[in-house]
Amino acid sequence: MIDLAYLDAGSGSLIVQAVVGGAAGVVVATKLYWRRLVARFRRQRTDQS
Amino acid sequence: MSISESPTRVEPASFRDPGNQVFYAGSEVLRGLDPRAAEQWRALAATDFFPALLAEGKVCGTEPVDPSRVPAGVTWAAVLRHERIPFVSHPYEWSFSMLRDAALLHLEILRTALAADFTTKDGSAYNLQWRGAAPVFIDVGSFEPLRDGEPWAGYRQFCQTLLYPLLLTAHLGLDFRPWLRAQVDGIEPDQMRRLFTGPRRLHRGVPTHVHLHGAMQARNARSSTTDVRAQLRAAGYTRELSLATVRGVERLVRRLDRAPAASPWADYQRTCGYSGADRVAKERFVELALTTAGSPRLVLDLGANDGRYARIAACHADYVVAVEQDPDVVDTLYRTLRTEHDRRILPLVMDLADPSPGGGWRGVERAGFGARARADVVLALAVVHHLALGRNVPLPAVLDWLLDAVAPGGRLVVEFVHPDDPMARRLLDNKPDGLFPDYRREAFEALLAARCRVERRQDLPSGTRTLYQVAVGG
Repeated sequence: MIDLAYLDAGSGSLIVQAVVGGAAGVVVATKLYWRRLVARFRRQRTDQS
Repeated sequence: MSISESPTRVEPASFRDPGNQVFYAGSEVLRGLDPRAAEQWRALAATDFFPALLAEGKVCGTEPVDPSRVPAGVTWAAVLRHERIPFVSHPYEWSFSMLRDAALLHLEILRTALAADFTTKDGSAYNLQWRGAAPVFIDVGSFEPLRDGEPWAGYRQFCQTLLYPLLLTAHLGLDFRPWLRAQVDGIEPDQMRRLFTGPRRLHRGVPTHVHLHGAMQARNARSSTTDVRAQLRAAGYTRELSLATVRGVERLVRRLDRAPAASPWADYQRTCGYSGADRVAKERFVELALTTAGSPRLVLDLGANDGRYARIAACHADYVVAVEQDPDVVDTLYRTLRTEHDRRILPLVMDLADPSPGGGWRGVERAGFGARARADVVLALAVVHHLALGRNVPLPAVLDWLLDAVAPGGRLVVEFVHPDDPMARRLLDNKPDGLFPDYRREAFEALLAARCRVERRQDLPSGTRTLYQVAVGG
């Protein structure tokens, strides 16, 4: 996916919008962080094996 | 449709989005679009919401013109012609309520666009200008179709140039203008976090938009926005969430309302030492000067106070810019004009002894006040003594600056307050004796005579003030 935006939206500024959006947004942000955690864990296990 | 044959001049502020560029041909404001932006324009023009925003005057007038008729230069896939904004101003010249209304209009436009599967590429305070006391969204090139699952790219910019300045004034009573004037990209979350410590952390909007925002930026500094967009999309971010965020920010901005404080200048008309006869004579003088000037296109009222003379000017001119130093006086004037649905008087906050300099890239991206101030009539009523006696600006320099703001063939209406006037004496009491030996009526008249032609002169009944109507060049 090519990033077509001319403006640097700021990675943190994109995520915080989910949280500001209310309960459903918090779920999205939590999911994002959970997936990041799982991905890191998987990477570590792959590295070890 | 024909376009002026005059050579084009690129708008110095129009370079951040390479997809489109604003330029001028004669008196016309044009926007060139590259193939992708042209495609987006066609999609935008075909929506229901965009023509509705145009009809309501919330977006500046825009119509397509034949690109082949644009004077030689870069070839664009499409060219738009915009309505000309009568006087370009910057957010650091607006009062609190003006900045708040500008923010609310930006959010309303974004919310309307989102509902129609469009968004704005950015969220800058510089996307807005004014028609009198009504804000107008000028960055038509900012609209683009929404890519589902993506948050608003302009949120950070909106915080930095609109929301944070409002929070500073609403919660801390700090003047937001010096921050915006000094930093073209606005106030950084980290700067805000240092100002909102202790119990201030809990002020409305601060925990999320300032502290959490700043912390998220720090934690995600190494993640690319492309990756984060993909992660958010995968985690289920939707347009509805974007809408909920925008509605939340709108609610917050609405609650940041703040009534202007009482100011010593707010009651100036009553306490300035004028007699009723003085006021009547002065109003007549100003009125006659404006009549003599024909139908001036633009009048600058420098030191406008409560806008009394700006209102007189608005009866004779197309547009009046009322410049006043006191933010609360300007805010009061703006709020009154807003209730009257005024479209011809633009109130601005500015210290005349420290007018807005050029800002941004190479100091020309945001034009300084001197580069923008070229009016058919300039009113400088009860202002010369403040600059000359209050701020020690040499009298010839004061006069040269005022005359610079007059277009060739235009007129200056200037009031000279004699050194024995009670208001002048009040200023002189704060300075050592004999500091301004040249501050005399005869010296002022000699300076006028050397620079322009005095058409009319009148002493006010109090005998300590004189008005001059002078013709400038042309």
